[in-house]
Amino acid sequence: MTDTIHGRESLVRLLEGILAMPGVTVYAPVAEGDGAAFDRVLSASEALLDSSGAVRPPRQILAPMTETLLAMEPGGSAVDSVPAPEPTILFGARPCDARAIVFLDRVYAGGDRIDPYYAARREALTILSIGCREPRATCFCTSTRGGPLSVEGSDILLEPSGEGWIVRIITERGASLVGRAGLGSSDGRVTDPAAFPQAGAPRDLSALRGRLEQAFDDPRWEALTAKCLGCGACTFLCPSCHCFDIVDAEEDGRIVRSRIWDSCQFKTFTRQASGHDPRPTGADRYRHRLMHKFSYCLESYGMPGCVGCGRCVEACPVNLDIRLLLDAFGGER
Amino acid sequence: MTGTNANAGWEPRIVAFLCNWCSYAGADSAGVGRMQYPASVRVIRVPCAGRINPFFILSAFRRGADGVLVSGCHPGDCHYISGNLGARRKFALMARLLGHLGIEEGRLHFTWVSASEGGRFAEVIETVTERVRELGPARRNAGGAR
Amino acid sequence: MSGAGLSARIAEAASRLLSEGSAEVVIGFEQGSIPMRATPCLVTDPSDAGRLVWNAFCANNLARYLEPGRKAAIVARGCDSRAIVELIKERRLKRSDIVVIGVPCTGMADPRAIARRFPGLRVTAVDESDGMLVIHGGPEPVSVPLDEVLHASCRLCARRNPVICDIPLGDPVAERDPGFPDVEAFASLPAEERRSRVEAEMAKCIRCYACRSACPLCTCASCFADSSQPQWVGRGAHPEDVTAFHVMRAMHLAGRCAECGACARACPTGVDLSILNRRLASDVSELFGCRAGLDENAPQPLAASSMEDSQDFMLDPGRKRE
Repeated sequence: MTDTIHGRESLVRLLEGILAMPGVTVYAPVAEGDGAAFDRVLSASEALLDSSGAVRPPRQILAPMTETLLAMEPGGSAVDSVPAPEPTILFGARPCDARAIVFLDRVYAGGDRIDPYYAARREALTILSIGCREPRATCFCTSTRGGPLSVEGSDILLEPSGEGWIVRIITERGASLVGRAGLGSSDGRVTDPAAFPQAGAPRDLSALRGRLEQAFDDPRWEALTAKCLGCGACTFLCPSCHCFDIVDAEEDGRIVRSRIWDSCQFKTFTRQASGHDPRPTGADRYRHRLMHKFSYCLESYGMPGCVGCGRCVEACPVNLDIRLLLDAFGGER
Repeated sequence: MTGTNANAGWEPRIVAFLCNWCSYAGADSAGVGRMQYPASVRVIRVPCAGRINPFFILSAFRRGADGVLVSGCHPGDCHYISGNLGARRKFALMARLLGHLGIEEGRLHFTWVSASEGGRFAEVIETVTERVRELGPARRNAGGAR
Repeated sequence: MSGAGLSARIAEAASRLLSEGSAEVVIGFEQGSIPMRATPCLVTDPSDAGRLVWNAFCANNLARYLEPGRKAAIVARGCDSRAIVELIKERRLKRSDIVVIGVPCTGMADPRAIARRFPGLRVTAVDESDGMLVIHGGPEPVSVPLDEVLHASCRLCARRNPVICDIPLGDPVAERDPGFPDVEAFASLPAEERRSRVEAEMAKCIRCYACRSACPLCTCASCFADSSQPQWVGRGAHPEDVTAFHVMRAMHLAGRCAECGACARACPTGVDLSILNRRLASDVSELFGCRAGLDENAPQPLAASSMEDSQDFMLDPGRKRE
């Protein structure tokens, strides 16, 4: 039994051990062009364990880009498509990715209505996160109440320590995985999170929220978002964005009802049947995204709708940096 | 690619976009002349080859066509003077592009048939059906949706 | 002229144009918020003109920001100007509304190429001098010739100086036409391999439409991909829908695409759209003898036709099969 993973080779062996467990699906960051995405892996060599995080977030494991909700056969019988996934392990998430899943849990399964499609996948999922050794230029997790060693959402967290990692079990589910993979766990936190490289000085979220709400009618929104192209790169790479549309279409002779990702940044998102659009300009749409994440979500879900992963900063084709907007409207750091 | 014999009993589904002023009437003359041609085509009448958006062709494949035929008026005969010539440029690019992408090679055909060419119409359908039958059912890309 | 020298001259021209009222807005680049990024900058106040910069990371096509009826000055190199030429030809813009601040261009650096060249290096800053990039972030600065880390579209650029220009800045750079080696290389692969390469590229698409949004020639007021009545293309991740979207977008751009590569650079997942657009550009050049953006007076090839056009691709049942 061991409670520490010494170096990269041991980490590979851990992944191999998990992959050898019967009847599990394992997702890990894999190369996709020059970037990385969470995808199913069958062998440890496919996984990018040295990547500083996947370009694409893990949300499609729980909420796929397109998913069939039900299908109707030509005879008229509807077949519900609630998935029944086998146990799934998300290996190598960042702590911010895991926090985003905590947020998605509140959206899809936190209230009195539970989304059965999401819930079925979530129930099967165990999350093993790897803490971050150093922040990237785009990171701002510390401004969203997260951090490089945040445990929220993770079942197991591997805390970087020297060349290796300390195994921290966070949940029962994590304990069970550690047992099956033949690992022990350290008894307590060894690393002092405050002594860890942080992603800049944290922003005060409640103060930020107050100032943002006051800035709703600020005339600067238009100028500061003028370069926004109105694409959905920020929302579709966001680990916590979750808006969707439901469409019915014919597919190979069946009528299929699908849920597909949608984006509040698209011109068609709020356009109504009459032609009226309550958010007609790019500035309106950008402001909505920011306010949703840093004001409305705090109200509805008790946490911001942003985990500070920095994917939108990296992905924005015109480098419209959400952090600069937060500082412009949210006041002093 | 499957050989002719393996697909002997199989009839391809071919969508034919025919110009109202020539090829559609050409199909009529083939019928009036009681010429035999395979029953593999589903005809969609359009006002001019120029009306055919490349998307019609992609939609036909998307919805399960094994082959697509586009037929308009011979150069110089367009009811709208140059609709077929504009279409020819568009289709030249599209045919090359789809071939370049390795998609639907040999399944997409363009031709000219006039209103009086019933025999040619039957021959075209014969040829297109034969070529598509050789290729077998169109391969669908269901992919692994993320 | 170095980037810094050009930056100063751009800022000076911008300030003058805004002060004298020849332009309501100057469209240029400013320093981005992260390393290896410049970001589009719309300046309306002469006192902000100093924000404008020119460096090897100006990746967007600024013609995207021109609007009909707005008097604008725009910092334009070859690719931006090629897009402007097409927009004027389509009467989407009036030549008299635009002041072109022309800059010669030796190509833009691709951060992904730099990452490939120096794996694991966390770049903190990049300096440029005489065609070399000096990259900071490691224990020691490292350098690489700009030529070796260019975006593919820049490596293959056929017109690096502005096609139209009102205020020329800097010395023109030598032109060269690299042709279409990328198209030829792809075309020489077996069909099955081409098909699987295309399928792999399409599988990366997340339908965020960054390509469409970044494209200066995607000017439709409402895109076919957003139409629900009729629904031309399914909106989800089905690979045939994804492919249909990209093929149709490429077809809409045939003969108009300025080959700037802004679509591929905008793509967050790195879909290689040049496979489609460059093939069409190469065919337009071969079949119709023209290249988008290079000639203000040439008709657009798909708005024209000729009795003499080739019809080799067409079926003639009387003709022998190749």
